[in-house]
Amino acid sequence: MKTVLFLAIVLVSGAISGTIHGIVNLGIVEPYLDEAIGIENQNLFESGEEEDTPQFWVEYDAYRDWQKGGQVLAGAILGTSIGALFGIVYALSRHALPGNTDVKKAFLLAGIMWFTLYLIPFLKYPANPPTVGDGETVVLRAILYLSFIAISGFGAVGFYQLSKKFKSNKKLVALIGYAVFISSVFFAMPENPDEVTAPMDLVNEFRLMSVLGVSTFWVSVGLILGLFWNKFRPHKQIPESYT
Amino acid sequence: MSHTNNVTISKSSTPILGIVVLAAIFVAGLFVVGYDQGHTFSVVLGEQAFEDLYIHELTHDMRHAAGFPCH
Repeated sequence: MKTVLFLAIVLVSGAISGTIHGIVNLGIVEPYLDEAIGIENQNLFESGEEEDTPQFWVEYDAYRDWQKGGQVLAGAILGTSIGALFGIVYALSRHALPGNTDVKKAFLLAGIMWFTLYLIPFLKYPANPPTVGDGETVVLRAILYLSFIAISGFGAVGFYQLSKKFKSNKKLVALIGYAVFISSVFFAMPENPDEVTAPMDLVNEFRLMSVLGVSTFWVSVGLILGLFWNKFRPHKQIPESYT
Repeated sequence: MSHTNNVTISKSSTPILGIVVLAAIFVAGLFVVGYDQGHTFSVVLGEQAFEDLYIHELTHDMRHAAGFPCH
């Protein structure tokens, strides 16, 4: 495999997909973030921690501009990061993925990774807008979320490897094995310790937009990496001649 | 009398170097966007970085949107 070409298409496809994710978030997630931060501000005014003055809003606007601008940059960084993982898994599993083109193979893998690394962990530990979450528990919540993602991902790989030992019904064995395993983990893992005090309409709509945004990333990275792989064929053999 | 043998070896397996580079980028990127609370800039700014939280604030909106615990 051509290493430089492989790295280039993986990183570029991740960065483009992450940028798309960031831009989509600006349109569909930001209104909910603004609303949630507005509630936080009201709470600060009512508690006396801040005063509702023009100076406050000048500082607030500058602060929010920095955060909103970061949405796209953070999207590109996160996309490059997750895209790198996607590229590793794709390169290692490409030969085993069904489909007659790299677009179909990459799209299928993106769907599997979206399901195991995002959707299942999301159902246990869903995204929350600002105003939800106690700063004292952030480390615990980060450990729980990352652990569940890792358990789900390694579980999927493990049951796929295990299923290869069976002569028939391999896919069914992998699916049922993973389903039983992750269901057990789902109920065994501790709940998010924080109480949701924000309006549930806001929280639920924010979560829906969050799912749409992240799903946009996975659709994009599957499609873009598949197209790049089809075009540039980094797996093409490099002949080495010795005399 | 000289005799030459030509041997062609085909390399198509996934390169270890490529995997290592991508794994490092994956870990670094995930940490910066999902978990940094001043750690990265503390290398140059010291304890002040944990007060300023530049990267935390820059990635704040994506953190919430992507499902990471933020605060």
